[in-house]
Amino acid sequence: MKNMLPKLAASAAVCALLVTAGSAADVIKIGVQVPITGKYANEGQSIDDGVKLVIDQLNAKGGLLGKQLKVVTCDDEGKAQKAAICARKLVNEGVLAVIGSYTSGATEAAQTTYYRNKTLQTSDGTSDSLTKHKYWTFFRNSFQNSAQATFTAKYLVKEKGYKKIVVISDYSSYAVGLADSAVKSIKAEGGNVIYQGKIKSGTQNFTAVLTKIKSMKPDAIYFSGYYTDGGLIRAQQEQLGIKADFIGGDSNDNPDFMKLAGKSAKGTLLVNFPTPDFLPYDAAKVFIKDYNAKYGKDPSSVWALMNVDGLNAILHAVRKTKSLDTKTISNYLHALKDFPGITGPITFREDGERINTKFNVYEIQADNSYKIINK
Amino acid sequence: MDIFLQQIVNGLTIGSLYALVALGYTMVYGVMKLINFAHGDLVALSAFAGLTIYTSIFADGGTSIIAVITVFMFTAAIIAVVGVLLERLAYRPLRTAPRLSAVVSALGAGLVIQNSIMLIWGPNMKIFPSDLFPSTIYDINGVVITFTQLMILIFSSVLMIALYLFINKTKIGTAIRAVAIDQDAAKLMGINVNKIIMIIFIIGSALGAVAGLFIGIYYRGITFDMGWMYGLNAFVAAIIGGIGNIPGAMFGGLMLGLFNALISGYISSAWAETFTFMLLIVVLIFRPTGILGEKVAEKV
Repeated sequence: MKNMLPKLAASAAVCALLVTAGSAADVIKIGVQVPITGKYANEGQSIDDGVKLVIDQLNAKGGLLGKQLKVVTCDDEGKAQKAAICARKLVNEGVLAVIGSYTSGATEAAQTTYYRNKTLQTSDGTSDSLTKHKYWTFFRNSFQNSAQATFTAKYLVKEKGYKKIVVISDYSSYAVGLADSAVKSIKAEGGNVIYQGKIKSGTQNFTAVLTKIKSMKPDAIYFSGYYTDGGLIRAQQEQLGIKADFIGGDSNDNPDFMKLAGKSAKGTLLVNFPTPDFLPYDAAKVFIKDYNAKYGKDPSSVWALMNVDGLNAILHAVRKTKSLDTKTISNYLHALKDFPGITGPITFREDGERINTKFNVYEIQADNSYKIINK
Repeated sequence: MDIFLQQIVNGLTIGSLYALVALGYTMVYGVMKLINFAHGDLVALSAFAGLTIYTSIFADGGTSIIAVITVFMFTAAIIAVVGVLLERLAYRPLRTAPRLSAVVSALGAGLVIQNSIMLIWGPNMKIFPSDLFPSTIYDINGVVITFTQLMILIFSSVLMIALYLFINKTKIGTAIRAVAIDQDAAKLMGINVNKIIMIIFIIGSALGAVAGLFIGIYYRGITFDMGWMYGLNAFVAAIIGGIGNIPGAMFGGLMLGLFNALISGYISSAWAETFTFMLLIVVLIFRPTGILGEKVAEKV
């Protein structure tokens, strides 16, 4: 009889363990790996807020497969090194899927860890290399650089009919990749790239390169880098009297571009995925309204919406397959056709690429508003 | 040909900004044998302070000459005060210490200023309004020069000539030169060395402040860490010209600006910095005291 007590205690402990384990399995964890601090904090926080909004709404409706969902966020600061640590942490937490990261570099650094641990991942990174491994766990919710390049080339050569095109980038792998594919696509369209130059990001003084470009008398300058340099290039281009149209890649789409370019911003063309307020879908308007009601501001850019789309597609797959097995979910996602996302229909290719994304060309007006000008 | 002349104009503009900043390095070195590594961050501070003054006082007043002059005067005064405080707090206590201690103190002071800028104004880029100067563009046979560039060239030339005359023709200038040659002897001649050093910091910081404002007005975007880039280039300019030598700093700055523009224009902008430092090494090998630096006799 005196041996009974420890046994009872032990079985009670086992029971308690079973209960906790049981309740843990009743929660589906969703990981968010984004830059919450640092240079891209603004974008990362917006993605995190967007994911939390969707999950809260879902939990209020009773969750998924009868289980509640929980968001686990890890701050990767937009750095590859921190991204690898986040990947391990989220895998150890046992998340079903990870949303993120915002930058291609941080996404790539975490990709393999998720793949090896059979954790789903959806990211807005645009670098072509993200889908080259063909990981079945990876789903891009935005577009590939080369898709943007193809669209841009067609627009410049066919729609605008530019004869002498100059392509400029900085030295980042993103901008060089975009510029290289743009040059390739322009040539494929039968266009004429008279010069491909590079500038050093952050040096502020681009007059030397622009003066060289002036002597070539181009009719279009395409810049694939970021807005902090793009705005200045645009301003200095006009100062030097280079009468060419300026076309900026997606990373020039930022209010600071207009501030840096000043009066020269007017007439600038920007190529990007539709910005939130230009999305023609009702779901987008509802999402932005809900987001605004909860956080008192709009999502900082379209990237938050793209990531929410990736999340929605995964949640949809879980609902349809009634399974938490990632391989089953992945197979379903690869077979999915035109899932109605808030940024447009979603279809994934075998390698996790989101296909058939649409682009727009915006012309900046005198009051710094955007006007869609492509057909 | 007009392309070449355009590159010259581009180079002279950035070169005169380097020269203004380089003067701050060279004057302090000439008198105290101290490399004031915090100087570049004072330049950055000036851009931020100037922007705040402009937007808080003249937010809706539009441009007027008075507004711009006020911003320049106020900012230069504030930065001069910061420069004097810097000398009091970071350099004076170490004046008799080994030279390395003072250099470390300078680096530390630079970090303090840089991080203070970040904490006060935030880590994001701030942008100058575009209407401080008229956006007039002059086109002379295909060579383009903007009103802002013209102002930079004129103002920096005027300031440099004034400084040259001040150092060489006035009584205080003579005292400065005396302190530069031998502090102890100058003290024995009745020169207040502390006062002279204070004047040096006032002039150097104010010139840096003017450069900082011009950088903000010309390039528009300012970041808390921009002082490092401009400081480093100006420091190289001061050494190339001959550190401690005032015409040397002016010459070095203009030369570096031209050199950068021509390398970026005719070779590649990525190589500009590489060539800058190669130029520095070549100059140091053949003229260790800089192009205009005099041969210094070994002090015993």
